[in-house]
This record gives sequence, structure tokens and C-alpha cells, in this order.
Amino acid sequence: MIRRNFWSKVILVIVAAFYVLPMIAMARFSFQRVPVIKLGWSTLGKNWTADSLIDAVTSERFLQAGWLSIRLALLSVVLSLVILIPTTVYVHVMKKSARSYVEFLSILPYVVPPIALVVGISGAMKVLGTWFLASPFSLVPFYVIISLPFTFRSLDTSLGAIDLKTLVEASRSLGASWMRTTRMVILPNLKVGIINASFLSFATVLGEFTIASLLLKFTLPAYLAESQGSNPQGTFSVGLLLLVVSSLMFALMNRLSKRKGHALTGLTL
Amino acid sequence: MNLTVRSERDSLAERVPFGVFKHMRSWVVLAPFTLFVAVFLLWPTFSVFRSALQPVEGSSKPAMLEAISGQYLDAILYSVRLSALTAGLGAVIGTLVAVSAVSLNQFKGLRNVLVGYSAVAANLGGIPLAFAFVASLGMQGLYTKLLSVIGINLSDLGFKISDFSGIVIVYLYFQIPLMTLVMLPAVDGLKVTLKEAAASVGATPRQYWRSIGIPLLSPSLLGGFLLLFANAFSAYATAYALSAGGSNLVSVQIRFYLQGNTITGKSNLGYALAAWMIVVMVLAMSGYLGLRRRSERWRK
Repeated sequence: MIRRNFWSKVILVIVAAFYVLPMIAMARFSFQRVPVIKLGWSTLGKNWTADSLIDAVTSERFLQAGWLSIRLALLSVVLSLVILIPTTVYVHVMKKSARSYVEFLSILPYVVPPIALVVGISGAMKVLGTWFLASPFSLVPFYVIISLPFTFRSLDTSLGAIDLKTLVEASRSLGASWMRTTRMVILPNLKVGIINASFLSFATVLGEFTIASLLLKFTLPAYLAESQGSNPQGTFSVGLLLLVVSSLMFALMNRLSKRKGHALTGLTL
Repeated sequence: MNLTVRSERDSLAERVPFGVFKHMRSWVVLAPFTLFVAVFLLWPTFSVFRSALQPVEGSSKPAMLEAISGQYLDAILYSVRLSALTAGLGAVIGTLVAVSAVSLNQFKGLRNVLVGYSAVAANLGGIPLAFAFVASLGMQGLYTKLLSVIGINLSDLGFKISDFSGIVIVYLYFQIPLMTLVMLPAVDGLKVTLKEAAASVGATPRQYWRSIGIPLLSPSLLGGFLLLFANAFSAYATAYALSAGGSNLVSVQIRFYLQGNTITGKSNLGYALAAWMIVVMVLAMSGYLGLRRRSERWRK
């Protein structure tokens, strides 16, 4: 018994090291102005500076890309919720039999890799003329599509955890209007699902590179790809910043889900 | 005493919300969602297959047939090999992590940290992850240098972060935690009573795992493998950033054919490779979903 726990500990320590060490190397590269060749005990504490990060985040290109990415992420979150909340609530309250149909459609984006989707987009959307794909905001509906497996599942799980139909019937039979029922029964129960879906969709859009890059839109990941040659330190530090931001979002989401007794959903489909 | 709260006539379907859903059939309510998926997913997908079934310039064969010969087939097979290897390694290591975490259940916080970080790491990927590994194991990487100090020279061993072996290691960063997340519920489902029953009839831990543990876990294991395979197969950004656009992966190659279309007249090959990617993804994911249904059955 002790022996097996020993091996369990060894495995966890090795995997933890594998998770943490690349981040340490990235942070060192971002914040220490000492080339690896010159690195040794004597230079270990030298030239630590956040100047590269500050230079990068105040640069014109970064601000341009960041502003676009944030607008795309917010619009995608809003559009996801507008499309999914009525659909999900409807299948839970009114028509359970339609749930598997909606679930099926929501999993479909997973079998079309982003690179294949973008190939199809450029082929299909040609008939609309150039105006549609010329706008960077044409990315929004596709971002809603690629985050669909995760956003639907978040909403679906938060409603599946309770018997919404009975609650709604109870509320209605006590004389509450549909407005009141939505406000007092449906939305409070959906809250965790809405927060999770928003975070997942936001994080997906912030990190999405494939579609933006092939449609020549200048988002944050495109900025990373473009400037890694000219300013590697600054670019790596921005990359690290992105990792930290999305990690914090996931940590927060994990915490909220747990407090409400829901399991963290999304990534494992 | 009449406490009937609602009569038949009052049933929910007839008490329509906002009056919006009034007299609407369900397909009307589901129409916006369906239409959205049709326009922004199914239509582009259809367009991929339509072009993929047309011939390339100077050929009579559909591009999809052309794409499974010669160098194009090589690109597909390269991706399949890479995805299978990272899925296999990720599945084994991720399962070991899940089993280890469950067997160390007495440390309370451990599992929370593991699940929390696995959820983060499974979602990392893309360009920042490539950067982290370039800073670690690239030519000027921190650990490349550390290893050379103790006499291990990575480039002498033929290791290069942008090559096959490099991409495998980078992909494991998100494959292992994804497998851990898939396997944790399955490992939890191996009830202690099963282990005690096996021990009481004299089974050794090895016999327990061989005859009970692994057979019970195998649908989840195989399903997890397929999910990881699909996950690696559809990835693009990480490999693109590691290799500066020069990788042999089929996803990276597609970009090349699409951008070279005016010169070579072979843009249909890009569509054909994309179509084959979708075919492979459909196979892997339907296998995963089928197996998941099976493994969830005995857990309940």
C-alpha cells in the first residue's frame, strides 16, 4: 500500500514539473535580459526587468490587436448567449425531446477542425461578395460556432442539475407571470451556466489563431505570430500574460461552479 | 377539498411565455439556432466537400482521390502518426495521473489543484504554448542549456522543437491533462468494494488491475484515446508557431495549398485535405461518443 502511494507521488511530482517548468522558462525569457548562453550562478539575479512587457503592451500594434480581440470576444459572448439561452431554456422547459437534437448540432463544430472550417468559409462566403469577409467582425459568428460545444454544455448542465420544468410549473401555478418566472426562477438557475459559457467563449476567442490568421484579421494571436521575430522578449511576455489571464478565468470559473455544486464542464465535451 | 392547482387546460404547453411562443410549433422556436448552425457551419462544410470532389487542373480524378496519393497522403499520414502517438502517450500518462490522484485522496487539496490546473492546461495550446516550449527546449532554451551542462546535448540526439519529436512533447502538455479530466470520473467509479472483494478472495493488486480494473476502465481509456487523437489532429496554431509555418502536418499544409492556388491551380487539393480531415474527425469523434455512452452506463 505504501509502495503504491510512493509511485503515485512520483508520478504526480513528475507531471507537475512538466506543467510548471515551461512556464518558468517562458517567464525567465520574458523578464530577464540575459541570453541563455551567459546564464550561470553569477548572472542568475541580474537584469530582471519588465521593460519588454511594458514596451510591447504600449505599442501601437499590440493595442490595435488587443482592442480588436476584446471587441470580438465580447460580441461572441453576447451572440452566443442570445442564440443559446432561449434555445436551451425552451428544450428544458417545454420540449425535452428536442434536447438531443440541439445537443447533436452543438457537438458538430467539434468534428470540423478550424483549419477545415476556414477553408470552407472562404469557399462558401465568396457568393456574398467581398464585403462580408472584409470586416473583422465577420469572425464573430464563426467564433460562436467553434465555442458552441462548450457554451451549450455549460448552459445545458446548469439547467440539467435542477428540475426546471417543475419549478416553472410551480411558479406559474402560484400565479407568477412569465416575465416574473423568467426573472425569479429561470435566470437565477441559469446564472452559473451563463458565467461559465461566457468565460469559455471569451477565452476561446482570445486564443483563436487559425481562422483569424487565414482570413488575415489582426487579433492578439496574430500579433504574437507577427512580432515574435522582431521583438521576441516582448512578444513572449505578452503570450505569458495571455496564459495568466485565461488561467485566472478558468480558476474563477472552477470556483464558481464548485460553490454552486456543478462540475466544471466544457473541455471534455 | 379541492386542491387541484392546475387543470389539464392549464398545462404548461398552453400557458405560453410572453405570448411569443404562442401557437408556435417547436421547429419555429428552434429555427434561429438551426439556421445559424446551417449557415455558419454546415454551409462551409458542404462547400469544402463540393470543391474536394472536383478535379484539380489537368486531371480527371476528384481532388479527394488525388489527395490520398503521394506527398499529399504523406501529409495526412504524418498527422495521423503524430496524433496517434500523442494520444497514446497522453492516454497512458493522463490515466496514471488520474489513478495516482484517486489513490492519494487523503490529501484534500490535491485533487482540487489537479482538476483546476488540468482544466487550464487542457485548454492551453495555440501560440503562447509554443512560445513556452521554445523558451524551454528550443535552441536557446533554458533546459536545453541545463541539460547540456550535465552532458546531454539535445541537438546531438536529433531533437528539435519544430520536428516530430518536439511537437509530440508540446502536444502532451494539453493531452495529458485532458485525459486526466476524462479518466477521473471513471477511476472514481472503480468502487472500493470491488478491490476489497478481489483482495478477500486472494487476488494480488496486479491480478486486480488485470482482471477487474483495466477491463472496467477500457471503454473510457479507448474513448479518451479517440478524443485525444481528434484533439491533436485538429490542432494547428501550436505546430504552425513551432515550425514557423513549415511543418509537414496536414493542417499546416492546407494553408500552403490555399495560398498557392493562383500559381499552381491546385487549390482544390487544399479542400480535399480539409475534407479528409473532417472524415477522420467524424470517425474518431463518433467512436468517442459511442464509447462514452457505454462507460457511463455501468457507472450508474
